[in-house]
Formats: sequence, structure tokens, C-alpha cells
Amino acid sequence: MNNPIKKIVIVGGGSAGWLTAGVLAAEHITAANSSIEITLIESADVAPIGVGEGTWPSMRSTLKKMGVSETEFLLACDASFKQGSKFSHWQSNTNEHYYHPFMLPHGFNEVNLAPFWQPFRDKISFADAVCQQSHLGYQGLAPKQISTAEYAFSANYGYHLDAGKFSKFLQNHCTKNLNVKHIIDHVIQVKSDESGDIASVTTKEYGDITGDLFIDCTGSASILLAKHFKVPFISKKHILFNDSALAVHVPYENENSPIASFTCSTAQTAGWIWDIGLPSRRGVGHTYSSGHITDENAEKELREYITPAMGKQAAESVAIRKISIDPGHREKLWHKNCVAVGMAAGFIEPLEASALVLVELSAKMISEQLPKNRQTMDIIAKRFNTKFLHRWQNILDFLKLHYALSKREDSSYWFDNREENTLSDNLKEQLALWKYQFPYKYDAIHTEEMFPPASFQYILYGMGFVTEQSSNLRPTQAMEAERFFNENMARSKQLLSRSPTNRDLIAKIKKYGLPKI
Amino acid sequence: MANNVLINSVDHQNLKVNTEYSEKYGDNVWYALTFPAEFRSAQAYYPIFFNKDASTGQFCPVTLFGFQDKENLFLSDNKWNAPYVPMSVARQPFLIGVQKINEDGQDKEQRVLHIDLDHPRVNQETGEALFLEFGGNTAYLDTAADMLETLHHGIIDNKSFVDTLIEHDLLEPFTLDIVLNDNSNNQMVGFYTINEDKLNELDAQTLANLHNKGFLQAIYMTIASQSNIRGLMNIKNEQLGL
Repeated sequence: MNNPIKKIVIVGGGSAGWLTAGVLAAEHITAANSSIEITLIESADVAPIGVGEGTWPSMRSTLKKMGVSETEFLLACDASFKQGSKFSHWQSNTNEHYYHPFMLPHGFNEVNLAPFWQPFRDKISFADAVCQQSHLGYQGLAPKQISTAEYAFSANYGYHLDAGKFSKFLQNHCTKNLNVKHIIDHVIQVKSDESGDIASVTTKEYGDITGDLFIDCTGSASILLAKHFKVPFISKKHILFNDSALAVHVPYENENSPIASFTCSTAQTAGWIWDIGLPSRRGVGHTYSSGHITDENAEKELREYITPAMGKQAAESVAIRKISIDPGHREKLWHKNCVAVGMAAGFIEPLEASALVLVELSAKMISEQLPKNRQTMDIIAKRFNTKFLHRWQNILDFLKLHYALSKREDSSYWFDNREENTLSDNLKEQLALWKYQFPYKYDAIHTEEMFPPASFQYILYGMGFVTEQSSNLRPTQAMEAERFFNENMARSKQLLSRSPTNRDLIAKIKKYGLPKI
Repeated sequence: MANNVLINSVDHQNLKVNTEYSEKYGDNVWYALTFPAEFRSAQAYYPIFFNKDASTGQFCPVTLFGFQDKENLFLSDNKWNAPYVPMSVARQPFLIGVQKINEDGQDKEQRVLHIDLDHPRVNQETGEALFLEFGGNTAYLDTAADMLETLHHGIIDNKSFVDTLIEHDLLEPFTLDIVLNDNSNNQMVGFYTINEDKLNELDAQTLANLHNKGFLQAIYMTIASQSNIRGLMNIKNEQLGL
């Protein structure tokens, strides 16, 4: 059992497979005396599902560590800048909206601004009062300038990207610059050794491919973790109902049409519509609960949504792709010498774009904690499972929070979403506490939480939640808070005056590229 | 707003250009573009650094005249108090225009001399004339034309100079601490200079390549020019009576 871990086999391409390969290779193969070998087996017969077009800011450091040029990435992947999410009609279906920006509230580490903002909740939205980013959002402005170095920013950002192009780009980078071995073949069999570990996967053309660690990136097929090891699936459909999605590409009116810098999420009668702006097109989709609306009606709502942009005729004839979602995750994610990353581990509606960031976080932990030998692998596996099952719980609760706070009454979908028995105990506890206490640093129970307490604030107060105010706010803190509110306004104004539009910045990057330093 | 027109001896027969240096002519700039061919002259008086063009994000070398926006420590009494004025400043109010011509049936682009008629230097009374009384360019105009031609090639040269510096990781940002005689301390950020550690690590082949392109000399002149910061601080102290 004391075998050193030298050969890592990733089964499955797509964003999950190539991101994992890239993160691992950048850390382990490029090291001068490395003896680690990474092979990625990708079937030519299986097309990647190509969803996951929004990233978190973490993608910047992930790409940077892989040695990717941001300019090349942006241009090759039809990518633009994402600064957070904009939620429309979630609260009460009265044309209202709010922002969940990537930037923390100004002065977040010094003072909790929420209690000082709340008395003014009718005059200014929480995001506008505490953060500069929603102001950029209103005008479609970019989070940086052409003179800002690659990966640096004036306002924190992630990306909107073309998932298909992204996989291709990463594949090229991994095979050309990071020495990842690429085998295009179909896995037809999995062979075990006497201990029950995977000894090899058998491919059609290349025969048996042996490995010490196997990473399952085969998407919802999950051929190693689910099919081979029979690790059960834990459905979360009773919490998050959305099990279907309809996706469509929407062209811009012309080449100068603005590119939105936030993912727009607009609530519908039994789901919500995402709207992601890439430089060359928009990616729009309706995710909904098939138990609450028929596919036909869901399609109708989607076509209505895109009608203003495309015109009635085009909106009614454009091809729509149907995707099924099985919301939930595997009972464990690392079993024996096999760990699942991406949809092979689990999948949930893209409300807060958690798919790619989970891939990044998984790849990061596998890479940084890469077991030196088979003996320690079980310990790492146990820790990995604990950490990521907690993260899944985190995501589920955070997504559910959006539904639990809604006051929409236009369909049973929204009523059902607020039913007590569809909320986890943890979420119920949080909501009970937040009635009397403003979320702040103590709401991060673990290190590296998926959603920082600031995100709870943005959603709660964006959705009109009211925390019962105690009258004993300290005057010294009130003065400090006022200073931060004023500073935020001044900085927002400054940022607005010097930030180009997303469209202009992308055009300049095409022409000049972003500086490396 | 600039009013740039092609110079001709008919319309512009009586134009004159005031060649004094002053704030009213827009000379109160704290830095100006330079290029390797000018380094030898410039490094005698000014620190040479690099900064990014705000509209393109591209690096270019600049000569520094002050420590903050609109501060040019070399300006006083309508004069520029240094023996050499960088060409990107001295060229005012002239600029290069592009004219399409047809030569032997082929469309070509030709560089031609333009003038900004709205530039405050341009007038009919004082300064240098552009044309001689009975036609023909004045020496002043010919010098301006030569200068712009040099500047044009200098800007092209800058691109390959800067690309080479970036390729070898030779640029690094720095913060300049300006401590004046009253012990006041100000910081200047946003400029870049040569990373000498990286320069010292370059292998012989790379150094030879830099030398062949003429960039090695430019790099060392950039480094040497830093001693002029002291001179700038002296002027600043003097102006403040410190």
C-alpha cells in the first residue's frame, strides 16, 4: 500500500477535466524534479454539455497560476467581464431588481455597515450604499481599464465565457505548455486491483491505461464514481426544484451593443431566466421546475423574454436546446483512489454560477493536498469529502435563501419554495438569527466558505429582508460608518468617470492586449 | 480643440510660431514621451522612466520634468531651463499627418507636415516664420519637419524596445519617495523602471541580441538617468524656498 502517487489519470475533457488537468499540471509537472505524470482521456463520441458560462473572481488566480495570458484567454474564449449578479423580479414581481456584486462592502473589515444602512433602506439600495460595483452595473462599465495589468482590477471581477471555446483553449494550453498527455479514446471498461482500487481504465484503441489516482470528470455519466463504484446519488430536488433548462443564443442588435457586466437573473412563474453577455452574443436560458410548469409554457416564457432583443419572428423560430438537471450530488466525492470533479460529483441550477468554482476549488485541494502515497490517500479523501460535502450544503442553503426570501405569489412554485420542510435546519437557523442580528464575520463558520457573510447581506437586504434594529448602535461606529458611506460615494463617482464600457475595453484588448505588468 | 491642417506656403505664408516655453502654451507637463534615439541627449538632464499610455495601455519611455500633474520644474520666465528639450515637446505645434497619394498607379500613404492652427503658439506677429518672404521653407520649418520624422521613427522603435523589455521581464513598477528639505515626504507611483536584478541575470546571448538592436545602450542610459532625480528635487526645494 506504500505506492507513491505518480500517475494521475483524468477521465473526461470539458471545462472540468481540463481545468483540473491545468491546475494539477501547473503545480506538479512544471516542477523541475517532478515525477508526476498526468493523462487526460477524452472521448470523441461525447460532446461536453457546454454550460457554465459564468465564473467567480477565483478564476483569475486559477488561470494566472496556470500561466495563462489573460489577453489570449479573453479573446480565444469570447470572454467578457462579470462583476456579479443582478436579480430582477425576485422579490415581488413588481419590476424591482437588486445587485449581488463581487466586491465586499466598503470598509467591511472595520465595521458592519448593514445596521447603519437599514434606517435609509427606502432611500438607497444596500449595494449602492456600500459598494461601487452596482454603480458600474447600471452603465455597463468595465471593472478595469486598458492600462490595468492582466488580472489586476479597479473592481473585482470574474468572467462570462463560451464554455466550448474555454475547454478547447485549456486543452491547448495543457497539452502545449504544461505537458499533459492527451488521449482521445472511449473508456469501455474499468479494472480493479485486489484492494478494490481502480487499476486501469480500458480504452477502445489504446487498451489499458493504468494510474495511481483517477479523476472522474465524465459529467453526469459519472462512469467511475457512480457507474463503477456505485456511490449513491443524493437528490436535492425537494429543496431546489429546478430540474430542467432551456438554452438559447441571442445575437446582439449590432456590433456596438453594450455587453452587460453582471449575470442577469430574472424570476419567472416557475423558475428564472439567466442572461449572460459575451462579446459576440448573449447566452440566455430558462431553468425551471417541471413539476410546476410544462415545457411548452416554460419555452413560451423564454421566447417572450428574448422577443424585445430579437423581434417576434426570430424569437419564435430560434433553436432552443433542452437540458435536464438532476439537482444533487454524490454521497461522497472521493472514494478509494477515485475523486469526482464537476458534474460527475454533482450539479445544481446555475443561480450563483457555482459549477466552475467548485471545479476550481476541487482541483486546488487535490493539487495542494496531492497524496504522496496510497497510504495517506484515504486520509486526504476523508478530509476532501468533509470539506466538499460542507460546500455543497453551503451552496444549497445559499441558493435556497433567494427563494425563501421571495414574496412572489404568482404560482404554487413560489409558495412551495417557502414551505418550512424545503428549508434545511441550518438555513432555518440562519434566518431565525438574522431576524435579530445583522450577518457579519461570525457567520463564516469554516475557513474558505463558499459564500462570505457579505453575500448573505447583499441577498438579504437586496430582497427586502428586515433585521430588527436595536437602538444601541455605538456613536463612534456610526461616525465611522458615515465616513465609509461617503467614501464609497466619492469612489463610485471617480470610478464611473474613468471606467470604459465593457464593449470599448474588449475592443481595445483586441487591438493592444492588456499589459502584463 | 485642435485644428490640424496640412501646411502650405500660400495659406500659411504669414504664420509665425512663438518658440518660448510657458504654461500658457501647455508646456506645464510633468512628463513627456521619449524614445531610444533621444536617450543620449535626454538622460543628461531628465530621469527616464516608463509609463502606460492611458488610452492604449502600451508602455512608452518618458522624460520626467516634475513630481505631480502639471508640474514642470524646468519652466520659468518663458524659458525652458535645460539645454535640451525633448522632441515630443519641442515639436509643438507641428504634427504628422498622413496623405494618400497615387504613385505609378499605386495607392500609397505619405507622411506630411501638419500644424495645429488653434495652438496658442501660432500667430501672425511674433516668433519664427514658416516661410521665407518669397516662398521657400525657413530653416525653422525644415528643422521641425526633420524633428517630426525622427519622432515618427522613434515611436515605432519604442514598440520593439518596450516589447523586448517585457519579453525579458525587464520592467518593474516602483515608488519614488520624494523627501524635500523640510522633511515632507511624498510618493510618486505609476511609473516603471528597469529591473536591474533581471538585467544582471541575462545570459550572454540575450545581451548580445539586445546590443545588436541598440537596446543595451538605451537600457543603461535609462538606469544612469535616475541620478537626475536629485537635480529635480533640488529645483523643487529651491522653488519652495527650502
